Amino acid sequence: MLFFSYFKDLVGREVTVELKNDLAIRGTLHSVDQYLNIKLENTKVVDQDKYPHMLSVRNCFIRGSVVRYVQLPPDGVDVELLHDATRREARGG
Amino acid sequence: MSWAGPEDIFLSTSLASYLDKKLLVLLRDGRKLLGILRSFDQFANAVLEGACERVIVGDLYCDIPLGLYVIRGENVVLIGELDLEREELPPHMVRVSAAEIKREEFLSSISSMNMRICTTSFTSLKEEFLSSISSMNMRICTTSFTSLKAQKAERDATDLKGSMRKRMEFLDLD
Repeated sequence: MLFFSYFKDLVGREVTVELKNDLAIRGTLHSVDQYLNIKLENTKVVDQDKYPHMLSVRNCFIRGSVVRYVQLPPDGVDVELLHDATRREARGG
Repeated sequence: MSWAGPEDIFLSTSLASYLDKKLLVLLRDGRKLLGILRSFDQFANAVLEGACERVIVGDLYCDIPLGLYVIRGENVVLIGELDLEREELPPHMVRVSAAEIKREEFLSSISSMNMRICTTSFTSLKEEFLSSISSMNMRICTTSFTSLKAQKAERDATDLKGSMRKRMEFLDLD
């Protein structure tokens, strides 16, 4: 559940989600669930010309299983906090 | 995707906020389906009413009507809410008939197949060429430059050129 909690903290931030089919979408993280499904708002496809069908999509739901990367804002990670949480998770707490 | 109550469906990842809206569903095989979401579950299985497939080839597109569709969740990549205020496609794109888009699709698949054949042939050709060059060099180096050996190397090179020419003819590059 660590990454679920981590992504929950990022709600409201601007992220870029790159999918396994190479489609990259930038948008505001609206919500995330335990499968790491993601909902984005005010989306913009990074390579708009290559994906004309995405032009009028403003909000979208992305299935967690097709995500390759999530690019976060540079200050999106508190290393200390993440380290602590990782150790806690590893201990089974 | 949790079964959230009516008060927080707009805050959760649930697809409930997309119910009865016109959506674009992107599938894993690259297909694009349009339709109205009537039902869904935690796997992103979905029921689309009045579904149609949008086929896009270059600047041409066509919506092929499909009817009522149940999509198995594992095939879903993305479900997008279509903003009705905005144009669905860029203005330069032209709508054509189903027959026409099928033809275009076929032609573009042929040309991409040709491209693949060409690139693979060229790669193997290049490797063959490089390996024969290096073996030729080896021969030239190990035998002192007698005119006989030089002639043989020249003959080899001519043979190689001939065989490459034959390969190129098969590719029909003209």
